Amino acid sequence: MSKYLSLSIKEINELLKTKKIKPIDLVNEAFEEIESNKDLNCFITLDKENAYNKARELENKEVDNILFGIPIAIKDNIITKHLKTTCASKMLENFVPIYDATVIEKINSKNMIIIGKTNMDEFAMGSTSQTSYFGPPTNPWNKNMIAGGSSGGSASCISARLVPFALGSDTGGSIRQPASYCGIVGMKPTYGRVSRYGLVAFASSLDQIGPMTTNVYNNALLLNAIVGFDEHDLTSVERKEEDFTRLIGEDIKGMKIAVPNFFLSDIISKEIKENVEKIIELLKENGATVDYVDIKYLDNAVNLYQIIAMGEASSNLARFDGIKFGYSYENPENLEDLYRKSRAIGFGKEVKRRIMVGSYLLSGENATTYYNKALSIRDDMRKSFKDTFQNYDLIIGPTTTSTAYNLGEGLDDPRQTFMDDILVIPVNMAGLPGLNIPIGFSKKHLPIGLHIIGDSFEEAKMYKLASFIEGKLNLELNPLKEVAK
Amino acid sequence: MDKLSKEEVLHVADLARIYVSDEEIENYKIELKQLLSDVEKIKDVKGYDDEILISPTDSFLTPREDVEKDTVEFNDIKKNIPNTFGNFVEVPVMINE
Repeated sequence: MSKYLSLSIKEINELLKTKKIKPIDLVNEAFEEIESNKDLNCFITLDKENAYNKARELENKEVDNILFGIPIAIKDNIITKHLKTTCASKMLENFVPIYDATVIEKINSKNMIIIGKTNMDEFAMGSTSQTSYFGPPTNPWNKNMIAGGSSGGSASCISARLVPFALGSDTGGSIRQPASYCGIVGMKPTYGRVSRYGLVAFASSLDQIGPMTTNVYNNALLLNAIVGFDEHDLTSVERKEEDFTRLIGEDIKGMKIAVPNFFLSDIISKEIKENVEKIIELLKENGATVDYVDIKYLDNAVNLYQIIAMGEASSNLARFDGIKFGYSYENPENLEDLYRKSRAIGFGKEVKRRIMVGSYLLSGENATTYYNKALSIRDDMRKSFKDTFQNYDLIIGPTTTSTAYNLGEGLDDPRQTFMDDILVIPVNMAGLPGLNIPIGFSKKHLPIGLHIIGDSFEEAKMYKLASFIEGKLNLELNPLKEVAK
Repeated sequence: MDKLSKEEVLHVADLARIYVSDEEIENYKIELKQLLSDVEKIKDVKGYDDEILISPTDSFLTPREDVEKDTVEFNDIKKNIPNTFGNFVEVPVMINE
């Protein structure tokens, strides 16, 4: 079997342009790879028929952009017209959307080929993808371990080189944390950069769609494709068009980097801390300045997130009532019974817990005591980040406190899933862009990630630093090659 | 261990419109208490401004022109409805006692 998908995107593009290969060769390869790596459980739904039809249709079209004919996987909470979108829930097990999310229209306009819908935590609630109704995806670096979450299927399929591009969504780290556990590049763009229209809402003031890829350049290319104002999402922001690859390869001399003390505190595992400190040294050796700073309320971020995310989730998920969407209990005694039992059976444990706590937090006086107070502290935290960016180009730290862990661990503790995201949640709180890149491995040879945080709309600058580090480290990030060694 | 009472669990489930079995109530007594104890910590946070964050971006929202448009076809909508009668949606008979 040919291995075109492991070539660089520029090489694939050249082969397509010169007609040495056809899009169908890439689609064949992707499905063969997916078939021989079924145990990763990355996909909930494959879309072979449409993928092959699209590949054949593209044979008669001019290769007009670098993403033309390239397979892509889509997280299963981004709706796709006529293609099942389950949110990894029994509730939406048979839900077939009737329109495309704006990002899907954009992907289609580039003539990328959608291969299927990836596994995830149910309604994106979780940090391990173990809350999926369809069973968890596994980590290609160790198949007994979690891929992270909630975009675990997207991270796992990119890491195992089943497809070169994927979309994830990030409400409290759900792109960056699995990207870290699986050794790939994952970007949560600035809030408002990418339209949320057609992303099944979890916590609307935090949700953002973003690209997940094997390398920094590809990530910037996919971000180029999906950004832009959308009249269907009034929180999307109108910006001048820009090329996110434009600073890749530039020297980092003179860059000013901040490291929040909290990000290297004793909550971080020793080997992750050591790896991040090596990067700090690398940056200093190459002309960047690195200072340690304090950002307010980082240690409260998890509690803020719990209140805001669970509160907003309880409101967003009220629409799943057994009537408007999805699963409907068959023998209700009355309408109230239909609502309650449809939701009891249609939702999994984690989702129900969050809806219950969220409903409580927003009820009566609690809305002021908890939700409004959380929004005030969130505002202060955002200002503290903004103040830091007055003096620094970027902020860095580890993406996670530990590397991936065994499947089944932490399931009994409802707080574990929040603690896994302690370092990535603040970025969603402040609406900032955050990027994970792999920077090394633990003693057990599990990937370690660096978290790069930018000021609003500074994604290009983040890619500049990320590509510099990527180039210097030149890590072998294909887990299958590592196994073969 | 610190737990919610059965009545408290039922109150929360009621707000969320989720049916809970007796067996589940026992688990929720502990699990919900753990989460609620976590969020209680926010009460200890001091020194912040009263201003609340309305939007996580600096940009103003851009309202779109208020024009009526057909965005989806009813025939498409029907595909997700288990039972239809002509252009009507068939729903189960619901008569409260």
